[in-house]
Formats: sequence, structure tokens, C-alpha cells
Amino acid sequence: MASERTAFLAQMVELLTSTVSFGERLDNMVHLLARHLKVDLALYFSLDKSKETLSLQISSQGPVPPHLRVEFPLGQGVVGEAAEIRKVRVVHRHHAGALEANVSLEKLHPAFRTLAAFPVADDNFLYGVLLLVSREDRTFSAPERQAVHLATLMLAGTIRQALLQEEAKKRIAELSVLFEVGKALSSTVELDELLERIVTTTAKVITARGAALQIVDTVSAETRVSSQYGQIPIPPCPRIPEVTASLGAAPETPYLQGQETGANGLAHYYLAVPLTFKGQLQGTLCVYDKISPTGEYSPFESENRQLLYTMAGLIVNAIENALTYQQVESLAERNERMVRNLTALQEISQALLTTVQAERLLEIIIQGLTLEQGLGFDRAMVLMVDETAQFLRGIKGARQAPGVVAGALPEALLSPLAVEVPVTDWQIPLRPDQGPMALAVLQMRPFHHHQPKAGAGLPSALKGKFDAKEFFVVPLVVKDRATGIIVVDNQASGRPLEEGPIHTLQMLATQAALVLENAQLYSTIEANNRELLLIRERMLESDRLAALSSLASGMAHEIRNPLVSIGGFARRIAKLVEMNSPLRGYVDVIQEEVTRLEKLLREILDFTGENLSYFGDHDLDQLIEDTLLLVQRDFQSAAIKVVKELTQLPRIHCDDRQIKQVFYNLFQNARQAMPRGGTLTIRTYPREREDGLYVSAAITDTGGGIPMEVLHNIFNPFFSTKDYGTGLGLSIAQRIVSRHYGQIEVNNEIGKGVTFIVSLPVAKYCLVKDAGQGVAMAGALHAPTGGRR
Amino acid sequence: MKKILVADDEMSIRLLYSEELKEEGYEVYLAANGREALEIVEKIPLDLVILDIKMPEMDGIEALRQIKERRPELPVLLSTAYGEYKQDFATWASDEYLVKSSDLEDLKSAVKRHLKE
Repeated sequence: MASERTAFLAQMVELLTSTVSFGERLDNMVHLLARHLKVDLALYFSLDKSKETLSLQISSQGPVPPHLRVEFPLGQGVVGEAAEIRKVRVVHRHHAGALEANVSLEKLHPAFRTLAAFPVADDNFLYGVLLLVSREDRTFSAPERQAVHLATLMLAGTIRQALLQEEAKKRIAELSVLFEVGKALSSTVELDELLERIVTTTAKVITARGAALQIVDTVSAETRVSSQYGQIPIPPCPRIPEVTASLGAAPETPYLQGQETGANGLAHYYLAVPLTFKGQLQGTLCVYDKISPTGEYSPFESENRQLLYTMAGLIVNAIENALTYQQVESLAERNERMVRNLTALQEISQALLTTVQAERLLEIIIQGLTLEQGLGFDRAMVLMVDETAQFLRGIKGARQAPGVVAGALPEALLSPLAVEVPVTDWQIPLRPDQGPMALAVLQMRPFHHHQPKAGAGLPSALKGKFDAKEFFVVPLVVKDRATGIIVVDNQASGRPLEEGPIHTLQMLATQAALVLENAQLYSTIEANNRELLLIRERMLESDRLAALSSLASGMAHEIRNPLVSIGGFARRIAKLVEMNSPLRGYVDVIQEEVTRLEKLLREILDFTGENLSYFGDHDLDQLIEDTLLLVQRDFQSAAIKVVKELTQLPRIHCDDRQIKQVFYNLFQNARQAMPRGGTLTIRTYPREREDGLYVSAAITDTGGGIPMEVLHNIFNPFFSTKDYGTGLGLSIAQRIVSRHYGQIEVNNEIGKGVTFIVSLPVAKYCLVKDAGQGVAMAGALHAPTGGRR
Repeated sequence: MKKILVADDEMSIRLLYSEELKEEGYEVYLAANGREALEIVEKIPLDLVILDIKMPEMDGIEALRQIKERRPELPVLLSTAYGEYKQDFATWASDEYLVKSSDLEDLKSAVKRHLKE
């Protein structure tokens, strides 16, 4: 008997130490037990701690099909009781309640009589229960129990060892998974790619059918990012607020796990863990439907949870890094754009210093705005304010030439415009109802025009010329005055106008306004300088001429009187002397010599300018402008406003000094007629008459007109009224005009003012006239009395 | 017989003009300055006046102005050594502006023209 037991134990030890797999070892040991104790069945129930149940795992009759997987809750049935009390428990079929409590065992052994349950445990843990089933009513002797006890200890040892091994394997697997995950996460900083990797890796590591990740901004409640992989069988992973709410209760390993019935009627499982970021971001990582080794879907287990949770930590780090990187990158990009714009601005500024010509400046500004390497707008136009007429006039515009790369910016700025935009026919009245361009001037602030419909909100003046949906207008402001505007758009490419270039444009506009103003001032100064130089030159020349002339003419005149006497009397003598007298020859000599001297005198005086005529071809408008310069100061001090309506006219043949004298006299008269200020309007126009083409200048004052009773006298040389001139002025004017075969007319409006109309024949007509004949005045007012021819 | 006044401060010129004009059949009155000329214009019903411009006491331009004020219809010829007085518009009130020459044909034909002979 004893030897039999010893053999059994030896066999057990042999099985225990065999090299076969853990499962096989257990199988073999259970078989041996059944055989040794001569029972019908030996069954091993393993304890599931989480469920507190004991379920059949090994049978001495071979593999257990699923429908025979009998389960006992802890404390119920012979198995449950043995596990609970951790002692051997033996029941017989005929014991009260024994059958009821263990009826599930009938599936395995319909005719059992004796059930003996032995707890399989070591000093610390209970692993399960060994159940021996017999068809006989039998008892177990002390040695038998001793043997089974030893066997269960060995089983417990084997199981513990297996569990430890399993645990270690799992730990290793988990670590290697985490290593893989970490490797995957750290291999990229691109956020999109990273998110894709996260969900893919998560699903694979957890062996889930699908995985989803989403991150929301808790302040704006906007979803910042989301990513999915595989099959998401039920509506997207739980809303973040729900997750966070249900997470609050279990701070150590918060999660949300559950089961829902999908649209297909099947049960689906999900497991979500939170992703907790610094700041206001929050997210969830959710996996769906664990795939078991057999390919079925099953709920997630606690170790999945643990793994997912650990991964969440890694993921948060990786995402935070990626977000930071993304932020840094976008900041860097913004900086780069800003630096590029500022560099462009600086280069444009430098180019603007290379010239003071408005035309060139405009070209540089427009190049800077439209060049790809500059501010890169598709199109840029400059319009300037016409102050007298109160409208905006197009000056210059250009568009970006596609595909033209003009090299480095500094050189490209100075190159000619690639494609000009015709804007010179743009005229926008400066009124508040004329759209953003007029408003930019009137309110001296930029406008960002953005309309869904082309041409909406634009003045009718631009119809068919400009219809951008989006454009930007910035005023050119100098000393609190808007002198013009710059308009830019991206109409051709359809790109939206970006903040950066617009900001730079506004900075450029300040400078552009200044340089254009300076150019304007410079050109005025230059013109004035030229004028002054010319005047100085003329004055010097006329001074020299005058000095010479006065010297020569002084002498000539002194000589002329005696010469006349000498010559005159010589002629008288000649008449008295006989033809054949010798005196005759002497007298002739005197006469001839006097005549020669008189001729010489005339030549000298001609040269000194006495009889010099200054006839030439002249522009009437220019003569008027020149004369206005002379009276400008007088007019200003008398508060007289001058309105010019000058028309481009054909040139006239005249003595420019004399014609200037005419206008000078008329202007002075007008000034005297308007002692308290007024308006002088000068209008020039061509005039077709029967005898040819004339040019006319109408000079209108607001001096109240000439009283009717004195009107007929105004051209009398020595006539003067208090209001109109000194008398000589008008008669001189009339003399000069009639010498030029022209005429002066008067339109007198009592209570309003007088209009003098000076008409002069155009050069070619004048030239064909017989200058010697003179021309009777055809005009309305003839020279008054005086018996002139 | 038509009455002509010659006003010139140069005695030799007065003599020359008067000899020549008398020869043409005119009655000639003489004055040495503008003031004397005006006195004669007051007294004598003259038909024509020849004025020098540069004269002492009263010059020919002032004399011209005053004569034209009193007798606007009386023809007044300016006979002067100075061409540039033509630029002085006051002289434009005269009926003819003549630059003195030893050849008196221009003067005599102008006299004839203005006397409508």
C-alpha cells in the first residue's frame, strides 16, 4: 500500500518536472490522480478572482467542450464551498440538498454518488478546486487524503509557476509593445501623421477592431483634432464631457468601459481612457471590440485598460510635442513672412531714394507692390487727388506678369513695369457716396473692400474698368492731407488678401506719400529755378543792351538835330545854285555825306532797339500765364481769385512784349475795379470769323461793370474813371491789338462786371495780310475821337 | 492860306522848316517850346501843328495832350529826333509820328495829307 503511494508520488513528481507544456502537465497530473484514486472523474476548476467564480478547466476525460464548462460561484456547490472554506469537502448524492447544489455536475457524470472537493492552494493563494467524482458511495482514507493533499500542493506549485511565467511574459510583451508604441510616436513630429500612427498602433497593440482619438478645446468646445482607424461600429467614442465626468470618481486609472448594441443588433464593446493635456485641451482614446484569438469580439480586460492607460501617457507627450512643434513652425513661418515683407519694404525704401521724379517713384512703388519678391499683389494702382476739381484721377497701375522672374528685388524694382494697367481714365468724384476709394481720401483711413458680388459698392465711374470683389485701399497722407490712394487686389489669382502684405503696404504708403509729395515740391522748385535763371539771363542781356543802347542813342540824338539842319539847308542851297556852278558839286557832297550819316544813325538806333520789332510765333495761353505771374502778388493782396479756363490754341504772330502789355493793362484795370476782392475769370478759345481764324481771350471781372454814361469813352487815351484804370491803359491795349490786326470787345453787365474779349488773328492769316495797309477795326468798339486814321 | 505852327527849341530847325513850308505856300507860325505853342494855338485859328518832343519848359507830349483837349480835330504831327518815343503811348494821340530827316519830303507830304490837300 505504502509502496503504491510512493510510486504515485514519484509519478506525480515526474510529471511535475516534465518538460511538456503547463496545460499538458496539469492534464497529465489530473489523469494520474483519477487513475490512482480509482475515481470516475477528476476535474479541475480554476478560480476567476474578478468574477468570484470557479469554472471547469481540466477534465480527466480530455478536452472540455464549451457547453460543458460548468461554473460554481464562490460558496456554492461542493466546489464553491471547498474554495470558500479552503478545506476538503466530501458530499454524497443522498445528502440533503447535495443533488440540488451540484445538479450541474450531472451533465458530466449523470450517476455520480460521491463528490470530493480539494482546494488547490499554497500558503498564500487559492488557485482552484480539484473535484473527484465517483459512481459509488465511498470514503477517502487518511493516507488517500494525504496523497491528494500532496498532489494538490504540487498542482498549486505548478499553477503558481505557470502564472508567474505568464505574468512575466505579459510584462515583457507589454514592455515591448510600449517600446514599439514609443518608437512609433517619436518617429514623427508631423501632427497628422502622428495621430494616424497613434490610432493604428493602439488598435493593433490592444487587438481591437477599431480605435479613435479626439481632442477638444475645452474653452471653445471645438474639436481640435480627431483621427480614426479600423471599424468604429458604434457612434463615435463617448463625448469628452461624459468621459471626464465619469472619470472623476476613479482618479487612479480612470476609464470608461461598456457595451452597446450597434445598428446591426450585435453587441459591441468599447474602452476609453482620457488624454489629459496641459492647458485647455482634453481628449479621449477609445478602442472598440477586442478581437479574441478565436476571432470573436469580446469585452476588454483589465490588462488592456492598463496598457491603454500607459499608452495614453505616451500619446499625450507625443501630441503635446507635435502641437508645440506645429506652433513653433507656424510662428517661424509667420516670422519669416514678416521678415520677408520688411526686407522688401526696406529695399523699396532704398529704391525710392534713388530718384526725385514722380514718374519713376510711382513705377518703383508699383513694382514693389506687384513683384513676386516684393509684396506680391496681383495688381496695384495709384490714384491722385485733383484738388481743384475734387476728384481722384488714375495715375499709374500695373499687374504682376505671370512667370516673369525679374531677379533680385533691388534690381527688379528699377526695371520697367511688365504689364501696365490703364488707369488714366479713372475719375472718381470725392464724395462720400462714391465708394471705398473716395472714402479712403475723405476719411483718411484704409478700406478693406470685400463683396461677394463683382462691382458691388463701387462708383459708377469705374464701371467696366475695375470690378474686383476684394481689394484694399490705403490713403497717401501727408501733413494731415490725403494726396492720393494706393489700391491693391489679387483678383487675377483669386487669392485672399493676407494680413502681412497689407500691413507692409500701409507702412509703405506713409513713405510713398512723403516721397511723392517731395517729388512734387522738387519739381515746383526746379521749374521756379529754371524760370528764375531764364529771367536772370534775359535781364542781364537786356541790361547790357540797355546800357549800350542808351549810350549810342544819346550820342545819335545829339548828332541828328544838327545833321537835319546841315542837310536841310544844303538841299536848299542846292536848289539855288546853278547846275553848272562849281558850288553845285560841293553842296552835293554835303547832301550825300549827311544822307550817309543819317543812314548810319538809323542803323545804330535800329541795333540799340529803338525800332526793333519783337514779332514771333507765340502761344496766347503762355503769354497770359506769363503776365499773370506779374500781377499774382497784387491779386493775392487784393483777395482776387483767378479762374483759368485755357484751351490749347494755335500760335499767333505777335510782339509778345506788347501783347503781354495788353493783358497787363486789362488785369490792372480789373484789379482796380475790384478793390474789395472778387473773381477774375480768364477763358481762351478759338474763333472762326469770315476773314479767318482768330484766337480769343475773355477776361471777366466781378467789379460791378462800367456806368453806361462813360462806356463810350473808355478807349479815349486821356479818359479815366475812378473805378476803371488810369485812362491810358485801355487805349494802349486797343492800339496794340489793332496793330496786330485784332480787336477788343467789351461786354458790360451793370451790377456784375465787365468782360473784355481780345481777339487776335492766327499767324498764317496774319502773314498773308498786307502789313502796310493796316486793318480797320471790325470790332464792336472803335477807338473814339482823336482824328486818327 | 493854311496856317501851320512849327514848335522846336532848335533855332536852325525852326528856320529850315519855316523856309520850306513857306515855299510850299503856307503861313508859318513859330514857337520855341510847348508853352509858346499853346499860346499861339489859343490866338490863331491854325490848320495844323508840327511839334518837336524834347523842348524846355513844356515838352511836345504835354503840348500835344493840351492841344487835343482844346481842339481835338486839329491835326498834330510829331517831328522828333527820337524814334523810341513811339513806344510812349501818349504819342499815339498824335496824327503822325515822324523821325526828323534832312530830307523834308516825308514831312511835307504828311502835312499835305492831313490838310486833305
